[in-house]
Amino acid sequence: MFSFIAKRLVSGIVLLFVVATGTFFLAHAAIGDPTPGLLGNSATAVQQDALRHKIGVDRPLLTQFWDWLSHAVTGDFGTSWRTFTPVNADLAQRLPVTLSIVVFATLLSAVFGVIIGVACGLRPGSVLDRILKFASVVLFALPGYWVAIVLVNVFALGLGWFNAVGYVDPVVSVGGWIQSITLPSIALALGAIVMVAEQLRNGFLEINNQDYVRTLRARGLSKGRVTRHVLRNASPAALTVLAMMFVGLLGGAIVVELVFYLPGIGQLTQQSSQNGNIPVLLGLTVVTVVFVVVINFLLDLVLGWVNPKVRDR
Amino acid sequence: MTRTRTAAALVATAVAAATALAGCTGATPTTSGGGTGGGGTGAQINDLKAGVFLDVTSWDPALADIGFDGPYLSAVYDPLVSLDNAAKPIPALASKWEYSADKLTLTMDLRTGVKFDDGQAFDAKAAVANIKHLKAGARSGQAYLNVADVTAKDDDTIELKLSKRDDSLLYFMGLGRSWMASPAAIESDALAQGPVGSGPYTFDKGASAPQSQYVFKKKENHWDSATFPFPNVTLFPITDQTASFNAMQGGQLNMQFANAANNAKAKEANWNIASKPSSWVGVQFADRTGTQVKALGEQKVRQAIAYAFDSAGILSAVGNNSGTATNQLWPVDGKVYDKSMDDKYKTDMAKAKALLAEAGYAQGFSVKMPMSPIFQAWQPAANQTFGELGIKVEWVDMAMPDYQKNAPTYPMFLAVIAMSGNDMATLSDQVTTSQWYNPNPSVDKFPEVKALVDQVEKADEAQQTDLLKQLNTKLVDLAWWDVWYQADNTYYSVQGIKVQPVTGMMFPTLRFIQRG
Repeated sequence: MFSFIAKRLVSGIVLLFVVATGTFFLAHAAIGDPTPGLLGNSATAVQQDALRHKIGVDRPLLTQFWDWLSHAVTGDFGTSWRTFTPVNADLAQRLPVTLSIVVFATLLSAVFGVIIGVACGLRPGSVLDRILKFASVVLFALPGYWVAIVLVNVFALGLGWFNAVGYVDPVVSVGGWIQSITLPSIALALGAIVMVAEQLRNGFLEINNQDYVRTLRARGLSKGRVTRHVLRNASPAALTVLAMMFVGLLGGAIVVELVFYLPGIGQLTQQSSQNGNIPVLLGLTVVTVVFVVVINFLLDLVLGWVNPKVRDR
Repeated sequence: MTRTRTAAALVATAVAAATALAGCTGATPTTSGGGTGGGGTGAQINDLKAGVFLDVTSWDPALADIGFDGPYLSAVYDPLVSLDNAAKPIPALASKWEYSADKLTLTMDLRTGVKFDDGQAFDAKAAVANIKHLKAGARSGQAYLNVADVTAKDDDTIELKLSKRDDSLLYFMGLGRSWMASPAAIESDALAQGPVGSGPYTFDKGASAPQSQYVFKKKENHWDSATFPFPNVTLFPITDQTASFNAMQGGQLNMQFANAANNAKAKEANWNIASKPSSWVGVQFADRTGTQVKALGEQKVRQAIAYAFDSAGILSAVGNNSGTATNQLWPVDGKVYDKSMDDKYKTDMAKAKALLAEAGYAQGFSVKMPMSPIFQAWQPAANQTFGELGIKVEWVDMAMPDYQKNAPTYPMFLAVIAMSGNDMATLSDQVTTSQWYNPNPSVDKFPEVKALVDQVEKADEAQQTDLLKQLNTKLVDLAWWDVWYQADNTYYSVQGIKVQPVTGMMFPTLRFIQRG
């Protein structure tokens, strides 16, 4: 187990270093001189030079990289080139918003994906199964932007059950927080639910036809116990999809954040890209990669628990 | 003088156009909160909740943009000079002013008894420190190009020495270039972290979330308290027009920067709708002397291009009919604008081709033009029209910051440029001064234009309008630009809130948002 954790930790650190390094140099190559974007085009050459000096981009690129890296390993991602506030403060403010909707969306995907997947796996060809097939095609085809707008129109503007836009901090009101993240989470989760359900349903059908399952039934085990055995063996594919979804939603929540006006990392990413705010972009990249590494690590642990053979790989 | 609201104008107009084209403002009109929008009927509204479109650029007035920063900065800073509803400079912290006979010295008397939030007194010394800071500012500095020096004459009097007569200085100061900040905060560079002014509201940092919502509480004893009716103001920088409109419908906003595509729904919800010209849209001839592309130096070629474009069609298809098709860039609701000239380049492709042939370009010519995603809404119309004229355009794609940087190096480019509410400011901004969007004024190369400009700049205020009209006529005749239309900015507010738009401000400062 120690070797398993050590290997994952080392590969995670390598991944983090490679992605952060790549992002640093690609961002600098793409943005070039950030001062026109930060100061506007009316800034004089002297003013641009002063800002270049202030943010340190007048130094050799390798010096800048070492400076950034040596601080980043201590958890200090520097200051925003636009607001001159610590990047960490921006992330601390934005990350909980995005995590709220992504975690909630993942939970919804897991719960409803399992319920629907098992129900369809138990009754292949049933009405529910055919609805799942149809829904998986339709929900994947529908743009998230459109789904979000429909949800707002029906449940916020039409029925008045939710606020149309905005985020409420749980510290201010837990009820308000749940209300503010429900529609965005549903908008994110709809596609994921059918994907998890589809994976689970297919895995369920495959395992259900295995010899050992027939043996279990022949030995007179209850339907519920057989289903638990089948579910445990059918779940790895669905768990992998769920983990991938979490990572994907973390980066892909921007559209939903825009429609629901949620101050998450998606908006911050967009604004920082437009402004050429490289320290914030790098902070966002590192945090996202950390999540990828952690989620993959947790996935490996869960898969190892579900299927002990995985631990030996 | 440049105003960095130009980029904001461009973004706002382009996004509105793109949204209208995409038809993606699919919100269904509703009565659940939509009509009242936070208590708009009956009870007096105490909480102004405004959707501003863009985030505040900087709390430092020297780095702030005029475009959408006005409402934020007007909450926490007092200006030396303000503007009235007609964009005429009026006293604020400068209680009165006077120009010398030669118009090269501006003496300002200052209001006394005003203190900044950090306890420092506002006086002549503070005003001088602020003007020097603004003159040195990356975004504000262009407003003070002609200010050679500023000195304190006594505790409540300052004197600005001008290197050249500048009839638009007070206008630009009122537009958003004279916000007074605490000199101590300027000195210590503290304005990057937050505002330190003397304005009518206190910034509630604890209740605010940067880039998401900004909360302000009204001061009890501000010297201009009567101008600001709302005890609580919250500003939301909502860029997504659909989200903003949904928030308005859901009652989370009671005033917003709007997309005119939603006007029918706004009327249905019984909201107030206010519009005003804000930007001109068309083709900027950066090379009107023909240095890069000889053809563009020919008046007939530029006129041919003006005849070829279907301005009204483009305004309808791309601009959602929110504006006025015109070939002039002095505001259509101003004194210089001449409606009778709008038919001068009435769409006529046959005439356009004939003019090209007369100029010796019957087969057209080739030209490179920059393109950025924000302009793509207008690209099909431009492609089709240039194509019909035989003008072969090679579009060079680039990101928006690069567009502003590189467009001036191209012989012509598509333009969405913020307009001024002051006629002399329009002259300096769009004609005589070099800007990224007017890189080669080339006034000297056109003797008749030069003569008129000289006369206007030396004339008394009473004569200036007539001379500007003559200049406007001449510039239209020369096809100085190919203006297609003047795009409006539109604002919705619930019953109980009235917005007075001001040409020159992409979003009005708080003094222009009143109960009513």
